[in-house]
Amino acid sequence: MNRNGRKWWRTNKHKLEPARQNSPSPYAHLTLSKETKENLQTLQDIYSKCSDVIFRPFYIGKTIKAHVVFISGLCTVQDVDQYVLTPLMQANENEFPDMEQMAEQVLAVSRIKNLATIADCIEEIGSGNPVLLWEGEERALSLGLAKWEKRNIEEPSAEVGIRGPREGFTETLDVNTSQIRRRIKDPALKMERMKIGGYTQTEVIVAYMEGIVDQTLVEEAKARLNRIQIDGILESGYIEEMIEDNPASPFPQLKDTERPDTACSALLEGRVVILVDGTPFALIAPVTFFALFQAAEDYYQRYIISTAIRWLRYLFLGISLLLPSLYVAIITFHQEMVPTSLLISMAASREAVPFPGLVEALLMEITFEALREAGVRLPKQIGAAVSIVGALVIGQAAVDAGLVSAPMVIVVAITGIANFMVPRYSVGTAVRLLRFPIMFLAGTLGLLGVMLGLIAIVVHLCTLRSFGVPYLSGISPLKPKEWKDILYRSPWWAMKTRPHFTGEFNQYRQAPDQKPGPERSEDP
Amino acid sequence: MKRILLTLLMMSLLFLGGCWDRTEINDLAIITGAAIDAADDNQIELSVQVFIPRALSAGRGSTSSGGNLTLVKSAKGASIADAIALLQTKIPRKIFWGHCEVFIFGEDMAKRGIAEEMDFLVRHPQPRERAYMFVSKGKAAKTLELRPELERYSSEVIREMSDMHIGMLVTIIQLKEMLRGKSNAAALPLIDVMPPPNEAKGLETAPYIMGTAVFRKGKMVGEINEKATRGVMWIRGEVERYTVTAKLKNVQGTVSLNPIHSDIKFIPSIRNGQWQMTIKAKTEGDVVQNGTNLDMSNPEMIKLVEKAFQQDIEDRIELALKQVQHEMKADIFDFATDFYREYPQEWKAAKNNWDEIFPNVKVITDIHAYVRRPGLVTLPGGIPEEEVREK
Amino acid sequence: MLEKGKISAFQMAVLMYPTIVATALLTVPSITAAYADNDLWLSPIWASLIGFVTVLVVDALHRRYPQKTIIQYSEHILGKLLGKAFGAFLMLLYVLLTALVVRIYAEFLVGSFLTQTPIVVVISTMLLLCAFAVRGGVEVIARAATAFSPFFVLPLLLLIVLLFTDFQLDRIFPIMADGVGPSLKGALIPQGWFTEYMLLAFLLPFLTDREKGRKWGVLSVFAVMLTLLISNLIVLFLFGTDVATMLYPLMAAARYVSFADFFENLESLVMAIWIMGAFIKISVFYYATALGSAQLLNLSDYRPIVLPLGFLITLFSFWSIPSLMETSKFDVAVFPFLGPLVLTLLPLLLLLLSFVRPARQEGKSS
Repeated sequence: MNRNGRKWWRTNKHKLEPARQNSPSPYAHLTLSKETKENLQTLQDIYSKCSDVIFRPFYIGKTIKAHVVFISGLCTVQDVDQYVLTPLMQANENEFPDMEQMAEQVLAVSRIKNLATIADCIEEIGSGNPVLLWEGEERALSLGLAKWEKRNIEEPSAEVGIRGPREGFTETLDVNTSQIRRRIKDPALKMERMKIGGYTQTEVIVAYMEGIVDQTLVEEAKARLNRIQIDGILESGYIEEMIEDNPASPFPQLKDTERPDTACSALLEGRVVILVDGTPFALIAPVTFFALFQAAEDYYQRYIISTAIRWLRYLFLGISLLLPSLYVAIITFHQEMVPTSLLISMAASREAVPFPGLVEALLMEITFEALREAGVRLPKQIGAAVSIVGALVIGQAAVDAGLVSAPMVIVVAITGIANFMVPRYSVGTAVRLLRFPIMFLAGTLGLLGVMLGLIAIVVHLCTLRSFGVPYLSGISPLKPKEWKDILYRSPWWAMKTRPHFTGEFNQYRQAPDQKPGPERSEDP
Repeated sequence: MKRILLTLLMMSLLFLGGCWDRTEINDLAIITGAAIDAADDNQIELSVQVFIPRALSAGRGSTSSGGNLTLVKSAKGASIADAIALLQTKIPRKIFWGHCEVFIFGEDMAKRGIAEEMDFLVRHPQPRERAYMFVSKGKAAKTLELRPELERYSSEVIREMSDMHIGMLVTIIQLKEMLRGKSNAAALPLIDVMPPPNEAKGLETAPYIMGTAVFRKGKMVGEINEKATRGVMWIRGEVERYTVTAKLKNVQGTVSLNPIHSDIKFIPSIRNGQWQMTIKAKTEGDVVQNGTNLDMSNPEMIKLVEKAFQQDIEDRIELALKQVQHEMKADIFDFATDFYREYPQEWKAAKNNWDEIFPNVKVITDIHAYVRRPGLVTLPGGIPEEEVREK
Repeated sequence: MLEKGKISAFQMAVLMYPTIVATALLTVPSITAAYADNDLWLSPIWASLIGFVTVLVVDALHRRYPQKTIIQYSEHILGKLLGKAFGAFLMLLYVLLTALVVRIYAEFLVGSFLTQTPIVVVISTMLLLCAFAVRGGVEVIARAATAFSPFFVLPLLLLIVLLFTDFQLDRIFPIMADGVGPSLKGALIPQGWFTEYMLLAFLLPFLTDREKGRKWGVLSVFAVMLTLLISNLIVLFLFGTDVATMLYPLMAAARYVSFADFFENLESLVMAIWIMGAFIKISVFYYATALGSAQLLNLSDYRPIVLPLGFLITLFSFWSIPSLMETSKFDVAVFPFLGPLVLTLLPLLLLLLSFVRPARQEGKSS
């Protein structure tokens, strides 16, 4: 330990250069000068060896030297030619006293911004807007012509539904915000923009409903986002890991969604939605454990069926987590717990298996996980082949060869299917992972081990919070009012209040007493 | 990082310690039934029926009738626990009692007394509380060796039979309660081996329940046949599925009924030192066969049938009482508890000479039988309409 | 304050319920039956009386010294030296009680399910888990208890449904054949469990709705009484007075289940209840011990002493009790007297003293 009280192995780290930070920008001290040449030189230095940046010199009218700087591919050349170069070159420069008036009268571009510093110019150029530099002006002009190739709006692939809107978010932030705005037209929908990532300068939007959301939640979200100092944000997963409450947990503490309707419903419940440029996955906070079991479709189909399906999900969550461990515990520790005839069949099928129960289970589960992972990563055509081979390998052939018992194959298959019942992929993976330690516990301590593992998981869930909201909120701490969306999906006319944890100010989401019935239509 | 290391360390500790209670199914000898016989020198002989998993896995579910699914091993010892220790040396797998649902005492063993061996069955954590207890006519071990045609092994046969409540059904817990109860008497179903259809198929037969063994103070004191057993079961309120066939007075042929529901009440009373027990029974039944020429839709005819029904039950009860109460003097009906409940003070005084009191308890039967439904046809099914008696 | 978490009065009641019931459910019916015969179902009613008294005494103390645990106000009432001595004695007792609970928990598992597993493994895994929860604070324990509570009540109801056909309701007669005597004698044992409500002295200061503390405390005692009554009735209807000879009658009842030839041998259900209940019970005792000890030693945080205390408890669970017979002897012969004496009478004495010498503390605390 050295004098500073730091441990020796940590001192090294402090010698490293700190990561590039959000602000101030390294070019902040550079201002635009009156000499275009100078400005141009600075920009060209900054963008040296950037083959995609185009500097186009031209004259406004006949005399004023000007430059337009843009990145090819981030805006259309035709637009620049048609709306910028053509009118400016044909204009009579003497008619206009300064740049501002000229822009107002000549440039057929709706979004125009005055820029005062080099840093501003860089930001605009980086965003795809051509920047106009002008002889004799201390300012530059950004022209909102950014336009690039983007993916079309498609059906969200990670959250598919039978009923409900088919469009999903895309990689383009503006498209995503427009999808939300189209659904919530009220100006109470606020979208605060910020940039995160030293190099990537990724745009992040914090969206919330003013008047519904708890303002401290918004402040907390913004504060946590502002704390992030990183070189780049490529996906909302980066942000998720930087702002969650407990990083040492397999469970997601923010909900990610690809669906604008899910994002909007979260907004209306008083949650905060964080949209990140470059990814179709938006983040929703705060979230409870049970909210992760709500699929968008639950709210579109009949509530009775949704309730039943929700319970099916809870049941299969348990199966997905515990079935292999219970099987191992029972066949190696508590053989008296199965009915005699079942035990006899199991004993018969296990007779030739050379592995102990735990090893057999691990073998099968790991093989299954590998097959599944391989299926996700492989191109679609090969993926099908893998699943066929997998089915044969871990199914029929393994049983015939006497390597595994038939009940084990059934257990693994049911477990695998059960895992797909969880509508959120992120929770599903957490459960998949936790299955293995519990299996080990089951193999050493039997049912006691399973129970200990389960208790440990529940205690862990009890310690978790998502933006201050207890993770198991609704069940523990007990809030019977929240059961309307946990134990059952109550019909819309009965879903009177917003979730309690955030919607304190504007609790009621609808007028009372709206239960439909035949007699209503006869009322005058 | 430190945390992860710590967790890994603890996990590995768990494994280093080994898996103490772990037993693979492949290493278990699953016992499906056990027989306890008396042997010389006050020893006992324990025989167990062990399930052979390989026999089932070879046939993939469908067992060929020829293959033997179980094997029987025996060992002698001073007690069950002692015999098991010896038995374990003869079986390469760990003896597992968790699925043993049938325990059979040999007749000699039962006469010698079963109290000592009961202790093992209730103390050891493996045998099930709901395992069924039997006494076998002759040696008990022979029952286990049978190869029944319908079920997979012989102990399954008697278990299934008991489940149908053809004879008495006594579980370990119930037997324990009887032995420790106030009446000091117990009854167990008595089984015997059905004679094989021919000599060649010596073992291909099944056991069946032939009556009841009666115990007093933990020792078998006698047996009653199937007919009297029915009476005992009537008194104990255990009759569930048994067809009563009654002969009507002054009418040719018999009528059979299926009791659907019966309700038994014991009303004890002590008057002038005379202990008296009234058995009130109410039973309902459906006609299943009408071998007479009576019209079953006629309420008056039904009255006749009801009377015969009633008489038949009374006869059975009396038969049972005669044999059990007066000959064997064993209170297997647990009158003692009923007296205790109604007359706790008197019971306390008489507790110690209950054995003398019981045979002298006056039993009054009060049976009400009702026929509720005539079945699917009203008139006798097999005779011309003219011959049907309407009055 | 050592503990920053807050719980509601309802959560406190939910927390106390398994804390008392968990171990009582399994062992008490048979001990009660030994004295009360078929009046064993009456005993919890008498026994609960002392529970009500304890709750009221502790609550009254709490009202006089809000936001303080018994360790802190005993110093005010008894003076520094005597108060510390009292606190030390109490903490020692709590370590011992926790160790005893741990031992009973392990004894059941090892005796009925894991016959070959060394008891130290069963004890240490559980204590490790509890330490994890205790470090999370009272909030986490309370939330875990709330999450588990349905799994605690439902199996009991399930047992009733599945066993109903086997019940012999007339086993309840004769009611009070020998007067109230036997059932009162039977109540001697369960009342020890009810005195454990003194734990409230460690929980009341952390309530968000302090005025409801008494109401929910009393309700919790009532729920415990009802549960014991029902479980006693189950085993009585099923086994009659034979209950007295069984070590764990409720488990025997679960093993007796046979429904539709498939729902058989539900002892795993009992085991699950047992582990969950024991977890909460041990956590609460452990938490009270850790918190109290930290306050006794004027520490700024109780978390650092959680693991050392766990080690101490593990040691005590071996040293203090050589065998199961010894444990039940303690249950029968020592705890029924020790419990009310220390856990009810001493707080009552404190309360009386606080009235006798009010001026002194008033001056100090204000």
